[in-house]
Amino acid sequence: MTGYEEYLSGEPVVITVALTGGVHGKEANPNLPETPAEVAAAAADAEAAGASVAHLHARQPNGERSFSAERFQELTEAVRETTDLVIQHSTGGTGAPLEARRQPLRTDPAPEMASLDMGPLNRYRHLTSENPRAMVDALYDEMDDRGIKPELEAFNDGHVNEIHGLLERRDLAPPYHTTLVFGGGTLTPARPRNLLNAVRNLPDGATFNTLGFGPHQLPFATLGTILGGHVRVGLEDNVYSERGELAESNAQLVERVAGVARTLGREPATPDEARDLLAL
Amino acid sequence: MSCPHLDYRDGDHAATERAYCTVLEEFAEPMRADICNDRFELSHAAHCEFYREAEGLDAGEADP
Repeated sequence: MTGYEEYLSGEPVVITVALTGGVHGKEANPNLPETPAEVAAAAADAEAAGASVAHLHARQPNGERSFSAERFQELTEAVRETTDLVIQHSTGGTGAPLEARRQPLRTDPAPEMASLDMGPLNRYRHLTSENPRAMVDALYDEMDDRGIKPELEAFNDGHVNEIHGLLERRDLAPPYHTTLVFGGGTLTPARPRNLLNAVRNLPDGATFNTLGFGPHQLPFATLGTILGGHVRVGLEDNVYSERGELAESNAQLVERVAGVARTLGREPATPDEARDLLAL
Repeated sequence: MSCPHLDYRDGDHAATERAYCTVLEEFAEPMRADICNDRFELSHAAHCEFYREAEGLDAGEADP
């Protein structure tokens, strides 16, 4: 179980960089990488700044979402050529059917990790990303068949219950790497006490990322580091470096939390250290 | 069928034509472009509040 003891022991921090995402694009920040070449270059810079895991979404040439295995293949090959980062493909996809969401798992080689959304998330006024349990189980089963470690994304405390439920339904290998998400809407309200509760509610054998959207990215990364957790940052989750100022790059956001971790006595994990910590 | 308020235009922020919402008069984020284009299980008539407002579909009624 990740916890304050890991902080005191100086365990390295696994920094996941969410480089591009699939919701917003260059209209939100022109510095956001979209093409495989842009993402690969940004990944290399992020690795140099302290990242050890690359969370990837594929896009079409015009920046719109793509779930195709071919687009993910092109993307993952580009990132593998420029970095040693742990490769984590997203299986998220509001409004996309299960068959589309399986495609990111079908690259050759398979990604080392893939995200697994643990439940519903409201978007806009009329739309919900549903993520029913049957879909969660089906995506997990394909990950298990292909030797891919799931990254269990909990958008709110109810999804922590869903993690416990998945562990009852399926035989996951520890550590159970979770991402605790904080922000507005369906997400857990971004208050420090809620992070403490969420960590306390995780199953034994779990490790956790903290993911704070927008202005919560830096404070929740800091809190997570102190609590012995790991962190996720990047332009997918936050396009600003400070209030009203667009971030220059993913590397800028990684460098900032790497500096916080070092100040707090924890070094950013190398990709191989991340593989050891996450039992990949 | 795509949204009648969808256009693809050049912008200063990207090298390719991007989805543009003529109701909002701004470029649409990529995930919204899937709604504009009725891709996957998405529908502009059901899921886009800007289309529905422009067409008077949300005036005083509950969500679909």
